[in-house]
Amino acid sequence: MASSKPVIVRFYRFKNRLREKTAGLAPGSAGISPEALAAAEQALSKMAEDYPDWVSGLVGKLQEQHGRCVDSPEKRNEYFEAINHIAHDMKGQGGTFGYPLITTFADSLYGFTTKRAGDISDNQVELVKSHVDAMRAVIRGRVSGDGGDIGIKLTDVLNAAIAKYQE
Amino acid sequence: MSDYDFDRVSVLLAEDSPFIRSLLVNSLKVLGVGNVYAVEHGGDAIHFLQRVKNEPMKIGVQQIDIVISNWDMHPIDGMMFLRWVRRHKDSPDRFVPFVMITSYTEPDRIMQAREMGVSEILAKPFTIKNIGEKLISIIERPRQFVHTKDFFGPDRRRQKLEIAGPERRLLTDKSEGVEIIRG
Repeated sequence: MASSKPVIVRFYRFKNRLREKTAGLAPGSAGISPEALAAAEQALSKMAEDYPDWVSGLVGKLQEQHGRCVDSPEKRNEYFEAINHIAHDMKGQGGTFGYPLITTFADSLYGFTTKRAGDISDNQVELVKSHVDAMRAVIRGRVSGDGGDIGIKLTDVLNAAIAKYQE
Repeated sequence: MSDYDFDRVSVLLAEDSPFIRSLLVNSLKVLGVGNVYAVEHGGDAIHFLQRVKNEPMKIGVQQIDIVISNWDMHPIDGMMFLRWVRRHKDSPDRFVPFVMITSYTEPDRIMQAREMGVSEILAKPFTIKNIGEKLISIIERPRQFVHTKDFFGPDRRRQKLEIAGPERRLLTDKSEGVEIIRG
């Protein structure tokens, strides 16, 4: 390019090497085989069996942080930070392993521990406990999917707690 | 329709949750991906890519074809890692497809990743089908890379729309100041 003007924008257009690598040079459509997808789904379901044990460890950590909030109110901001972080992890996992209620409850916990200004009230700490309790109930009862009637009941109980303690 | 053969493909995965990490490694392997290198956070991922650049024979990796990274990790998160891949002089391949995994679904967060040059976003919680869709998109619909004074990354215009009215884009392929690099 023998242009004296400065270049304002460069477009990089490369050969699709990744397609050549995975689908060869022959034209025509290619895709992921349904068998491979099914096998991967199966591997996921197998891992999902361990998920309740894994997540109860995280719920234990939440409970620990809640206990600290009760014992040392002056450090609540720090503990809420930790709670927020755990909730963020949990909301990203539950649905993948067939426990969307964990994702829903974690999302709610994440939400109200994200935006906080000033001192954290006892009510807010109590609200953490309501979320922990709801999650425990999901794990104890192995409430997968939307949980049907039990799922609705758990969600209602949590919502009632939110309404009660929210300032 | 033929099936993809992922046997020669190398994926670098950065994910701090052991459970999700092992899920992803497992899934990619079952889908047939030949080489999956898993690390715990962005810092380890950068270190790994530096080694790919400086001592490929020693670690036995010539090239990483796809990067998959969680966003929220400590001490180096996915955004810092993405910035390094796209902008740092030591990055072995500034054009590598980069998939960001995230539980952040707020639009401004997604925009932030897009402006940093992310290729695809995989929202948590995800399914195997979602992973498959992202792989297909990377292989079948790669975008040209655009480099301007304030952006480097895959073209943010994904769609080719037929424009009924007059061309209002400031620059076309033939404009002065536009350089096209093919390879």
